[in-house]
Amino acid sequence: MTDVNRPVHRRYPQIRATSGYGDPRIRHTGPGPGAGAEQEPERSSKLSARLALALTVVIGQLWGLTVVVDEWMSGNTGTAWWGAGFLVLSFLVVLGLWVIDPKDR
Amino acid sequence: MSVTDPQPPAPDAARTDAAREALHDRIAADSLTTRRDYLRIVATVSGGLAVGGVAVASGILQRHGDPDGLPAIKKIADRIEPGESLAFRYPGDEDRAIAVRMDDGTLAGYSAVCTHLACAVLWRRDRGSEGELYCPCHEGVFDARTGEVTAGPPPRGLPKVILIEQVDGSVWAIGTARSGESLQEGYCRQRGEGSPLCTRLEGGATERSEGA
Repeated sequence: MTDVNRPVHRRYPQIRATSGYGDPRIRHTGPGPGAGAEQEPERSSKLSARLALALTVVIGQLWGLTVVVDEWMSGNTGTAWWGAGFLVLSFLVVLGLWVIDPKDR
Repeated sequence: MSVTDPQPPAPDAARTDAAREALHDRIAADSLTTRRDYLRIVATVSGGLAVGGVAVASGILQRHGDPDGLPAIKKIADRIEPGESLAFRYPGDEDRAIAVRMDDGTLAGYSAVCTHLACAVLWRRDRGSEGELYCPCHEGVFDARTGEVTAGPPPRGLPKVILIEQVDGSVWAIGTARSGESLQEGYCRQRGEGSPLCTRLEGGATERSEGA
């Protein structure tokens, strides 16, 4: 029977029960006991925090853009330029959050 | 036999193939977008918003009812009776505007472009205590005396058209004022502080001129 969910020892008959980290063919342990758990919780939470911060800043930018449009339409060009500066600074913050660790995933 | 060698067909090959295909579909449906990809997308959106803000501040958007240069003086009606309104174009041929004569004789002019999503603003005499300027698209309501928003989603009041009435009852448009700007501020900005009407417009919605 070739069921796709057949046990590992039947899917990979050349891997013996005694195979493990010492087996040079095994580069990754794959699913097993504890599979799905975070292996690097600190790195992962930092990345999640960066993403959450960036999303928060973008929400602030959406609000800022409405203010800029409103001020421009009302004729307050100076205030509109201050708002545009706020948007650019916010973008730089998001850019920093993005490039702070290029190798992260 | 290597694990990569094809397996011998099983008796229930059709069922197995279907199961394998279903598994493949399930794996393919899994998102391969990482959080870092999301971060890149968010950074791109952020950059777009920043560019948009600079473009708006630079003047990429046209203010409704705001002329590029000095607005012309234009006669819009021989007479407007109380309770009536008149749709006209001012300052340009594409700028919709509306003049309203209220029951107490007050004459007011506004851009007829709603500040929400640019629908046409209508004079509704039957609404409110003394009539309202009403945008039917999203139930926006503007005060007929001031142009300010009294209900609905518009973010700011209507830009104004400065109207004067001659002794013969004819109504003329002589300038515009932006949202939140008084008639005097708008007129003085366009015609200059030294203009004779600049100081006389203070506090009034319209000016009844005695001369030509």
